[in-house]
Amino acid sequence: MERERTTAFSEACNAGEPAVAPDGKGDPFAWFASMLPNCLEYAKAAKAEGRPIVGITCEYTPRELIVAAGAVPVCLCGGSADTIPTAERDLPANLCPLVKSTYGYHAEKGNPLLEMADLLVVETTCDGKKKMYELMAESRPVHLLELPQKAEDDAAFEHWAGELRALVAVLAEKLGGSPSQDGIESAIRAMNRERSLRRDLAALMQSDAPPLTGRQLLDCRSIIAGVPVALEQYERTLDMLRAGEARGEMNSGVRVLMTGVPIVRGAERVVDIVEGAGGLVVCMENCTGVKPILDDVAEGTPDPMHAIAEKYFALPCSVMTPNERRQTTLRQLAEEYRPQCVIELIWQACLTYDVESFFIRRLAEEELGIPYLRIETDYSPSDSARIETRVQALFETVRGRSVAETRRG
Amino acid sequence: MICAGIDAGSRTTKIALMGDGDEVLLASAVGEPGACTATQAEELFEKTVAQHQVDRDRIGRVVATGYGRAALQMADTTVTEITCHARGVQFLEPRAATVVEIGGQDSKIILLDGNGGVRDFVMNDRCAAGTGRFLEMVAERLDVGAVGLGELAAGSQKPATINPTCAVFAETEIIGLLSAGAKPQDVAAGVQETVATRMATLAVGRAERPVVFAGGVALIPGMASALSRALACQVEVASAPQLTGAIGAALIACREA
Repeated sequence: MERERTTAFSEACNAGEPAVAPDGKGDPFAWFASMLPNCLEYAKAAKAEGRPIVGITCEYTPRELIVAAGAVPVCLCGGSADTIPTAERDLPANLCPLVKSTYGYHAEKGNPLLEMADLLVVETTCDGKKKMYELMAESRPVHLLELPQKAEDDAAFEHWAGELRALVAVLAEKLGGSPSQDGIESAIRAMNRERSLRRDLAALMQSDAPPLTGRQLLDCRSIIAGVPVALEQYERTLDMLRAGEARGEMNSGVRVLMTGVPIVRGAERVVDIVEGAGGLVVCMENCTGVKPILDDVAEGTPDPMHAIAEKYFALPCSVMTPNERRQTTLRQLAEEYRPQCVIELIWQACLTYDVESFFIRRLAEEELGIPYLRIETDYSPSDSARIETRVQALFETVRGRSVAETRRG
Repeated sequence: MICAGIDAGSRTTKIALMGDGDEVLLASAVGEPGACTATQAEELFEKTVAQHQVDRDRIGRVVATGYGRAALQMADTTVTEITCHARGVQFLEPRAATVVEIGGQDSKIILLDGNGGVRDFVMNDRCAAGTGRFLEMVAERLDVGAVGLGELAAGSQKPATINPTCAVFAETEIIGLLSAGAKPQDVAAGVQETVATRMATLAVGRAERPVVFAGGVALIPGMASALSRALACQVEVASAPQLTGAIGAALIACREA
């Protein structure tokens, strides 16, 4: 039984290459390839030093407050199909695979990072997650942030700011770390630095011939925020990729803007299908792509708590209503990354992204004037061949259009 | 030179040979339905070439499409069935604006760009509810063939209501209906309606006229009229509905040659 429990996580860990050599030479992606074991080591060391581990499962949860409280924020979103059968003992089958996989790790006690967590800070985003947390709270300490969903409403924002003030009190009470104003300010600067490095990496894809693929960019991400080694690795990867770009190392393909649901570690199948079929994912407007890193928290303001609340409340998740900001963001990204098509990924039973796809299709086809493909799937690979056919047909259409335009032009 | 298209579908292989200068269909073949293998597809190809006394050396280029396209060693290149059906339907029915294609395991709506290309398309996801395989499954349950299903449906006065969202649920529903005494003809008609409704849902009101119906399912009596009712517009069956993919592939081979 013990062996079974750790399978999904250890497989994910073992998928990577050994960590980067201390001289900093070699593959720029090496540290990220073994990001999971690296993060596990980091969390173990932090815990041994007496720093609490705080599990998070959403980009709305402000890492700054957890870091300022002296704790380590660890993302616990599940990307493994293997934990889903266990999850389905308690959860309905017709639920988002990300929610089920995360819960499966919980039920199997299969994610060592979750097992280490002293507290989970979660939020009311989608109904699936919200109700899943109630089940998790039966056996784990969980604090729920109530995220209001009227994105443009002042009272909704005030409520959110209040939830974050309450979180500071909860962190102090449960973990004994009461963050000072200076502590919060320095956490803001550290998180801004991480966001800025990830933004720079993502921006490399704006090139006509980017030095990395969408999948490589997706892998350059740490599930623990603010790990000093990870920040060094972002810098190093940037340097090496810029040098590679200067040497003429480049990628090409049909330029794809991906949008929709997050693609957590282990669930990258559709990105691989897209890039395997001749596409290049130049931008991912989702929670594992640029969505959470486009805006920083304002530094040096008299009220850093307010600044944090503002940054996070502005995230354009489909749980918000109306969610105009997502379309504004997509327009901006289309200008910067010049995609030839939009592919929207929707995890099965993700109702909010599913319904919102109506607007995204309209935006792509009518406003941006590029083809749109919606892919609804889950973590099981059984539909890979069908998805591949649709993606290939999309690219044939894109190429057919550019041939026709060349002839006309 | 002669160009060839092979549509290695999930249930049937289709072959088309075309002269590349004048784009004339020289020969075609439709294989026996069943689980198709690459070997069977290549055998059918050789048989067609021999039967029509086509000079093997004059075949300049072969394009494969369909579910099994990647497994065909003899193909020079592969193109998806979406692009091929669009091209094939435009060749057979030049006025077509929309293609409704229902094959063995896929169903698709393709909006054409007026030049034989694809403007947009939608395809069914995992579920087989709107596909030929689903109709076959029901036909087996009612102890008739796929064509017999259409003939049976023609005798219905009151088609049964069947949930269009899932093939597995639908089969359970059909068993329930039959055991509750529903007439087989009403079940057959209900199943045709449900496949047509499913296609209309996939089209989300975007099907533009003229709508051309292609794929093996277009050969089943009553399907085109069920589709016409569901889409609220006249649906015409392509002149060789099973061959549109293979013809499209051959035409693309001509263009690339």
